[in-house]
Amino acid sequence: MSDTLAWGRRYLMCPPDFFTIAYEINPWMHADVTVDRDLAALQWHTLRHALRTAGAAIEVLDPVDGLPDLVFTANAGVVDGRRFVPSRFRNPERASETPIDCAWFERHGYELHPMLPGVVHEGAGDALPFTDRSGTPVLVSGYRTRSDVQSHVSLSRVLGVPVRPVELVDRRLYHLDLTFCPLDKRRAIVVPGAWDRYGARMMDELVPEPLELSVDEALGFVANSLVVGSVVVMPHCPPRVGWQLERWGFTAVEVDVSEFHKAGGACRCLTLALDVRLT
Amino acid sequence: MATITVEIDGHIIDSLLLPKVLDLIVASGADYELRDVHIGKTSTDPSHAVIDITMPDGVDSEALLIELQVHGANVIGELDASLVPAPTDGVLPEGFYATTNLPTVVRVGGDWLEVARPEMDCAIVVDADRGAQTAPMHKVRHGDPVVVGLDGVRVTSPTRRQGSSLFEFMASDVSSEKPQALLVHRVAERMRLAHAEGGSILVVCGPAVVHTGAASELAALVRAGWVDVLFAGNGFATHDIESSVLGTSLGISVDGGEPAEGGHGNHLRVINDVRRHGSIAKAVEAGFVTSGVMYECVVRGVPFVLGGSVRDDGPLPDVITDVVAAADRMRAELTGVSVALMFASTLHAIATGNLLPASVETFCVDINQAVVTKLADRGSHQVMGIVTDVGLFTRNLARELLG
Repeated sequence: MSDTLAWGRRYLMCPPDFFTIAYEINPWMHADVTVDRDLAALQWHTLRHALRTAGAAIEVLDPVDGLPDLVFTANAGVVDGRRFVPSRFRNPERASETPIDCAWFERHGYELHPMLPGVVHEGAGDALPFTDRSGTPVLVSGYRTRSDVQSHVSLSRVLGVPVRPVELVDRRLYHLDLTFCPLDKRRAIVVPGAWDRYGARMMDELVPEPLELSVDEALGFVANSLVVGSVVVMPHCPPRVGWQLERWGFTAVEVDVSEFHKAGGACRCLTLALDVRLT
Repeated sequence: MATITVEIDGHIIDSLLLPKVLDLIVASGADYELRDVHIGKTSTDPSHAVIDITMPDGVDSEALLIELQVHGANVIGELDASLVPAPTDGVLPEGFYATTNLPTVVRVGGDWLEVARPEMDCAIVVDADRGAQTAPMHKVRHGDPVVVGLDGVRVTSPTRRQGSSLFEFMASDVSSEKPQALLVHRVAERMRLAHAEGGSILVVCGPAVVHTGAASELAALVRAGWVDVLFAGNGFATHDIESSVLGTSLGISVDGGEPAEGGHGNHLRVINDVRRHGSIAKAVEAGFVTSGVMYECVVRGVPFVLGGSVRDDGPLPDVITDVVAAADRMRAELTGVSVALMFASTLHAIATGNLLPASVETFCVDINQAVVTKLADRGSHQVMGIVTDVGLFTRNLARELLG
């Protein structure tokens, strides 16, 4: 497959030592639900093992007591080469993660590019790269539920790539990475029912060969998957989706991360691709 | 008829943001003219459009501008907020910006400052030392710099309301048909969460809490620490003390339901006695009041604010009869409140609703749906209404929280 994604072989992950449901900031979270931390740890290690087996390298961010969602590194920020744009979270509950993320990236030699003041953006959870039909890299970015549309101008300026905003209209699918998963340069898993009609039309233009999921399928976190070359690491793979991926030459690997569904996250949310190069 | 100019930047052509914004303008009943469109030469260049919007009377311009802001179209240009000194104590300058209860930021010297204590129907005063904060009209002092006009003011977008789903059964505004046990359970859950996160719980009570016989359960909740602040009026406090001292509420026996002899004057006798003692706290100290909600508040040191009204008998010595002073006291007690429960109180519920930021989760329990609707109509959109008998609800809530 010559169109294989040029990124997705190096990820940042944070072990779930302190993962719990301490607050409710999305419709999945219920503070009275208990997390089985041993099971969460087992699932996290299985995911890391699956990614390594597929050929990805994993860097580890040290967990911090009191920051249960630090485990969802996808929301740390947006990475482009050696540049890092830290997130600014919508909910104060997660704001304390940003200094921890920034410290890690600074220590690892990244240049930090803060977003304009006053705008909110929740990192790679709401921003995934794709290639438009002319071959130009674009950053697709979700907005409304968690990120502001204003952040896109800021991101575009810092990163020098076009940012294509898409409005997320289903609060259960609150980040872009629950509705969109680039598979290669032409193909992607898409959930048009989670976008407003302008967003759906724009994405239809952008992705030549979409693998469309219903909202119900997306609520099974199917789109919250990771692609390492030709391996798709998925929290759940309905047969229909598996057949299509196989026809396209991908191998689907299912990794149960159900403990993390309790916080509204799955495989993609638990990782941040460090090898994204937009330009 | 008003004309407002907005601008939008970014990759607005390919992403269909521009057509979306234009469609939204037309759908609201307004009209537009594209004054200037600059399309980026390459796909990486951002585009820019300037749109003149003409709004006929009757178009909700504020709602439209907020919606457009969500999609990136901002009123031209993001200027600093204009600040005009208040002409005299208690008077705002012409054209002052009237606040909502949503999180708001103002731009001053190029920086966006968060406005402290969001409260509806106030002005924003920007103070060199204390930053930006809401100020009710009467609090403004001569010379205070007050934000005027819409420039440099941003209100955080309200979340779009979605259709009902399993996840969001609490999202509908008023509920009389949902299983009450489930509602009680959810309210209890929010109260537990509030305490777990260090927030406090405010309860606003009307006299019906006592009439329906629920005062003892509410007192038990106060005793167990589930009430951190209490707002009420003369009626609630009087009937609570009346039922504690004489066993009646407005002359009707709370236990038996039969009218007590000469009972119509019971509440006046109780008020008179408390006035003789000097305050509710002193009446408790002297052993005159030995149970009830007010008793528990005094014993546990739970702050309460009793706001007066023109029809009050007495009133009790603790009732603040200057309504402006009462609202100020209520304001002062709201710091840290994250959950508010309004129990069968029209007057005080609406008064409290006016003071609460939209971020405070508010449950309004009333047998009369009109109260809930009235609260929402006055801008307290965060209110979840539960249409039911307050006595029943309070009893169930106490059972849920106290076991």
